[in-house]
Amino acid sequence: MRDAISFARRNIPAVALVTTEFWPQGDFVARSAGMPDVPRVELPHPVAGSGHERMGEVARSIATTIVSALWA
Amino acid sequence: MGVALASAVLLADDEQEALEALHAAPATDGLPVVIPTPARVERMVLASGLDPDMLLGEVGPSQGAATIEKVAINAVMAGCLPDHLPVVIAAVKAICRPELDLTELQSTTHCIAPIIVVNGPARHACGPIASGWGALGPGHRANASIGRAVRLIMMNVGGARPGLSDMALLGHQGKFTSCLAEDEENSPFPPLHTSLGYDAGQSVVTVVGTEAPHSVVHVGDADDPSSPNRLLRSLAATIANVGSNNAFFRRGAVLVVLNPDHALTLAKAAMSRADVQAALCGLATNSRHLLRSLNPAFAGQGADDDPVCALRSPDDVLLVTAGGGGLYSMVMPSWGAGPHGNVFVTEAVDLDQACAIP
Repeated sequence: MRDAISFARRNIPAVALVTTEFWPQGDFVARSAGMPDVPRVELPHPVAGSGHERMGEVARSIATTIVSALWA
Repeated sequence: MGVALASAVLLADDEQEALEALHAAPATDGLPVVIPTPARVERMVLASGLDPDMLLGEVGPSQGAATIEKVAINAVMAGCLPDHLPVVIAAVKAICRPELDLTELQSTTHCIAPIIVVNGPARHACGPIASGWGALGPGHRANASIGRAVRLIMMNVGGARPGLSDMALLGHQGKFTSCLAEDEENSPFPPLHTSLGYDAGQSVVTVVGTEAPHSVVHVGDADDPSSPNRLLRSLAATIANVGSNNAFFRRGAVLVVLNPDHALTLAKAAMSRADVQAALCGLATNSRHLLRSLNPAFAGQGADDDPVCALRSPDDVLLVTAGGGGLYSMVMPSWGAGPHGNVFVTEAVDLDQACAIP
């Protein structure tokens, strides 16, 4: 979240990828950092350790959402 | 008393109702707190000898402003006496230092919590802060209250709440309070703070994020010349235990608390603090094969028979003497992550500002 906020503050398009379990924390960090609307896309939890095949599935399922968020 | 406080004042019919309101806010650690009435907070602020709006630092992850007033409120809630406040203030300055990475430390899924080690005259002037039997356990008011005040500040000023912003999967009991003094009088080594460049007459807090203590048993034998080495190996094996982050991330300061008997065992072998630190760094290794067999993603590149040290350097070993004499010392492994790699920080305790309040 903080990386996305740092990029956004430099007017560089950015979107944070946040897993379901960390979504409330993402909201918290975004509010705390003064950028509650920083773009973010939700991923299933967990991503780490879920294997290459599953990672590919997740990537394919959110790719268009990420692009949309960057253009929004 | 004439101190202008800026914080909002909540109203309640009695202390029980106020306590329930603080629990519901939420503004407690789950245990009952002393109600921070304006009179109690004013008294604590006055004892600090500092302006209530003086900023000590920003507390992550919410970057809340740790002013003297906010620190005093939480110190009252934690049960602190005004005498304890200089150590609380120094510890708050320490946790707000950028190199401690408090935002990341508070947000990680790891169970890390800052522990406060106190050296110098403040051990007596601001306490007594226990350094002997059960110093990290219950029954020592100053230890319990000072550590708890810092935790409440991390929660109420820093915004850390379990599952919302403090993402520790389980946490550990040291997240309620974690503070002890070094037993300088019974240590064969110079006080920790003097090894870190301070004068013996200064008071200093050393703060590092660690796991809960891991007990290390060692049965000493004065007739056995291998006794010091056996002790070092036991300590090192606990530092490099393969359940710890340190084993895999190969960094992060660790706290080693020697009981006075164990400290003496090493000192009698003509080892200085620096010698012990170097020896532990040399021994705290695992083979890459072992690490690879357990967590291949974290084992790094290299040959299977590479010795992989759990520490970056001997300086990552904080060596302290405390506790009762006997068979058990403690190792507190750490997290080994964050932009600065889980380093320790020190901060001088200013005893000259404090005021006696009748």
